[in-house]
Amino acid sequence: MATVHAVEGLFADTPNGPRLLGSRCATCSAPYFPKSPVCHNPECTESKIEDAEFGPTGKLWGFTFQVFPPPPPAKYDEPFKPYPMGFIDLDDGLRVLGQVSIEDLTKVAVDMPVEMVIEPLFHDEDGNEVVTWKFKPS
Amino acid sequence: MREVAAVGFGMHPWGKFEDKSVTELCRHAVEASLQDAGVQWRDVEAVAAASSRFSGGKGWGLNGNDVVEDMGSTGVPVYNLSAGCSAGANAFNIGYTLVASGAHDMVMVVGGEKMPKGFIQTSGVEEHTDPEFLRQRCIGMPGPAFWAVLCRRRMHEHGTTEEQMAKVAVKARKNGALNPNARYRKETNVEEVLKSALVVYPLHLFEICAVSDGAAAVVLCSAEKAKQLTTKPVWVGGSAVATARFDDGITRGIGGMVPPGITHHSEAKAAVAKAMSQAGVGPKDLSLVELQDNTVYYELAFPEEWGLCEPGQAEWLLEHDETTPTGKLPINPSGGFISFGEATTAQGLFQICELGWQLRGEAGARQVPNAKVGMSQTIGLGGNATAVVLKN
Ligand SMILES: [Zn+2]
Repeated sequence: MATVHAVEGLFADTPNGPRLLGSRCATCSAPYFPKSPVCHNPECTESKIEDAEFGPTGKLWGFTFQVFPPPPPAKYDEPFKPYPMGFIDLDDGLRVLGQVSIEDLTKVAVDMPVEMVIEPLFHDEDGNEVVTWKFKPS
Repeated sequence: MREVAAVGFGMHPWGKFEDKSVTELCRHAVEASLQDAGVQWRDVEAVAAASSRFSGGKGWGLNGNDVVEDMGSTGVPVYNLSAGCSAGANAFNIGYTLVASGAHDMVMVVGGEKMPKGFIQTSGVEEHTDPEFLRQRCIGMPGPAFWAVLCRRRMHEHGTTEEQMAKVAVKARKNGALNPNARYRKETNVEEVLKSALVVYPLHLFEICAVSDGAAAVVLCSAEKAKQLTTKPVWVGGSAVATARFDDGITRGIGGMVPPGITHHSEAKAAVAKAMSQAGVGPKDLSLVELQDNTVYYELAFPEEWGLCEPGQAEWLLEHDETTPTGKLPINPSGGFISFGEATTAQGLFQICELGWQLRGEAGARQVPNAKVGMSQTIGLGGNATAVVLKN
């Protein structure tokens, strides 16, 4: 029984704390998550993609609650517990989707300041704890 | 480019038809459109068809070839168009271009679909480069949640209430009740909408379109042919296709750029602007609009994004019945996706049929008085969008 990532290579607990692993174009500074092999910005004069880390702080742009167990390929632990999720605008210019980690669901609010965390999403068939990126109020 | 007329509109009603194949649905629509135009199958010089991922098409989206085999293998060229939920009007754009360019004088545009049950799912392959897979596996966020986030943001920005969103569904179902081709033909009320299952906050079951089976077809021809067939043809003023801009803020994968401007569906806005400009019409000239209401949110957001009304004015128009068939800006007099359900690739064509019937004054109890110019719009997976303007 170990801790495994929901999908490898998308995030890491770095010496500076939890970060998303993406890339950024050195020419036009467009952010990419997941990593992109080339810059997609049509205004960009030269695609210069470099690895980049994103996070941890930002604001919750909009949110919703998943109130029913999500269909596959989503996975969750039984019994299913509703969870908030939304679009998070990170201070470093990346808009990313993620779950909101919060006990009191009535406290979730648009434009709420949040901070990235790495937390359990579900347990797999081998009993491993599968973790992903989420955002908690900061 | 030559003038193009739409002379035949045909539709198989939307619903669930366990014992009918997609070919049967298409045959019904194609035959109805030929009869409406007063022409024979052998008069059709080319076919532009929407490719389906879900039904028929020999597994390769060859739905137009299925139709030709079924109707009679006349040897005509077939163009199968894939553009997600935009495919129907994308195929229309090809049909329009074939006639406008002078390549053909008469073209059949057709789309049909039989949908699997439940919400539309991913390909089912656990592919780590597929953003749809990553969103569902890493975040547990199925498709409708995306609309819900946009919707909740609108509530924050414009003070939109859950009652107002429910009213959009009530209005849609009131129109659908008057449309023999709609799937849901029973009126509803705000209380019933808000009591329907909460699918994904703040959206309830009655505020999200179901999946349906259906088919629709349109016959397009040159002005010369049209004048032989009818004294009152409906003209294609504009037909446009667009894809999304890089920085519009609609996060189609799991991450993107915080947009420099407002978050909006840039592909839809571009297609609508292009179609209106081709037709030489402005927002005030539109007698009716058929827009893609996968959820009630779009009926409030789209008219503003396209400049048909001011930001935050959509709720006012709704509350004052101005979006009903007799209002200032009739939206989805057909009943829209909310009343039809979504037969994905056929959607763009049911909308165009509605425009045609409205402009000919044949829309019965849901008729927009004195309709002269109508516009339809779709968006589809991949950042695709279309818009069509028909006029008298
Ligand atoms: Zn760049």
